[in-house]
Amino acid sequence: MAHILVIDDDEQFRGMLVQMLSKDRHRVDFAVDGEQGLRFLQQNKPDLIITDILMPYKDGIDLIRTLVLSGNPIPVIAISGGRRFITAEFNLESAELIGVKAALAKPFGWAELRSAVAKALA
Amino acid sequence: MKAVFERYARLLHEVAVETTPGLMESRLMQAYDQGRNLLDQGVSPDEVIHMHHAAILQLAQLRPDFTLAQVAGSLTLPLMEVSMSYGMAFREQMEQRYEAKLKLRVSQSSKLEATGTLAAGIAHDFNNILGSIVGYAEMAADDLDKNSEARKCIEQVLIASFRARQLVASLLTFARQTPVTSEAADVVELIREILALLKASLDPAVQVCFTSAMEHAIVIGDPVQIQQVVMNLCLNAADAMKGKGIIRINLDAAQWHQDHRDEIGCGLCLSVADTGCGMRPEVLARIFDPFFTTKAPGKGSGLGLSVVHGAVTQLGGKVEVDSCTSGPKTGTEFRVYLPWPDAETAKQ
Repeated sequence: MAHILVIDDDEQFRGMLVQMLSKDRHRVDFAVDGEQGLRFLQQNKPDLIITDILMPYKDGIDLIRTLVLSGNPIPVIAISGGRRFITAEFNLESAELIGVKAALAKPFGWAELRSAVAKALA
Repeated sequence: MKAVFERYARLLHEVAVETTPGLMESRLMQAYDQGRNLLDQGVSPDEVIHMHHAAILQLAQLRPDFTLAQVAGSLTLPLMEVSMSYGMAFREQMEQRYEAKLKLRVSQSSKLEATGTLAAGIAHDFNNILGSIVGYAEMAADDLDKNSEARKCIEQVLIASFRARQLVASLLTFARQTPVTSEAADVVELIREILALLKASLDPAVQVCFTSAMEHAIVIGDPVQIQQVVMNLCLNAADAMKGKGIIRINLDAAQWHQDHRDEIGCGLCLSVADTGCGMRPEVLARIFDPFFTTKAPGKGSGLGLSVVHGAVTQLGGKVEVDSCTSGPKTGTEFRVYLPWPDAETAKQ
């Protein structure tokens, strides 16, 4: 049972993710974009961060870069639906290059999420 | 211009009121010349013919002693001129339409590109929506008894969602503007690979016959894209044959005229011919339009041939198609031209 921070700008998807992780008995907090996520992280130390990549203001890649540069030890799972000419794979690959533990392309199933969480927390 | 009109109208009137046969004819000739002048000066045939109609009516009223043939005959020459001018205008219009159609063909590629951009934009939001559907449906399924009706319904929601995910993946492939990989690919080998997969999924009554004039055919591009082109063309061929017939795939060296450029392309020609029902010209004109499909709802996304067109354009090639709906040659043949690597690329 871990403390997880979910960062996603899509309200409905974020709600689903929070509920799914809660059903798996994790303690879940959420943020609506990278900025809010970073503010939360200044005060809290969750066991895992699950962040969307394409978000307004501060996107996921930018957030992960900030975390890596500040020596953050919290594992990160990147999730994305892809936009414009950038496919979900491309984004998720870039996320993995900068130290993300696991990457998931939306839409994904519960089993995929569980295995990514287990892998990131291992 | 107004003065010319008035003179013309007066002449026509004079024809009507002139009783001396010889004079009437001479005035008719004058009216005829005048009518032609009007057309030469750019007055629309519509207006001229309208004046003639008015003059005929006037003539018929003023000279009830004239037979209908006389009335019409007295004005036949200028009318013929007008109708000829109509014919010319009609022909010009047809030529303009043909040119517009050509331009439309030329803009086809950019239209597909724009649709691709739009599609990719939608794809992202759609994946988010699908993500919520899949997630909530899975949670609902988890709470339900395995054998319950509700659980079966939710499972159908999940199946439908994963089908939608496939569609979005096709959209993204279609929208992809640059190949993910650009490498030397052997088209002969790629075709053999994809055919092995395809044969398993096609109806046993569909024969696939592959011939190649060369042992290896190297082009530069994304192997996945090339296989997608072959696969989409074969699936379309199989659909057109309704589960029975022969798909002939042939590979040969070829030269072709590159569209929009005054260049001769040099490379290979991959042809996929079927013995199916063929396509009518109105269908043929739209086959590369995204979302255009003749298949039953749910049977096709209407993206297959758009993906083919997009991929081949990206590879620097061209697609041609011939189709026949009746006679011994009934069926469709797609020819995909792909360029050989240029000397510079081949070295890399």
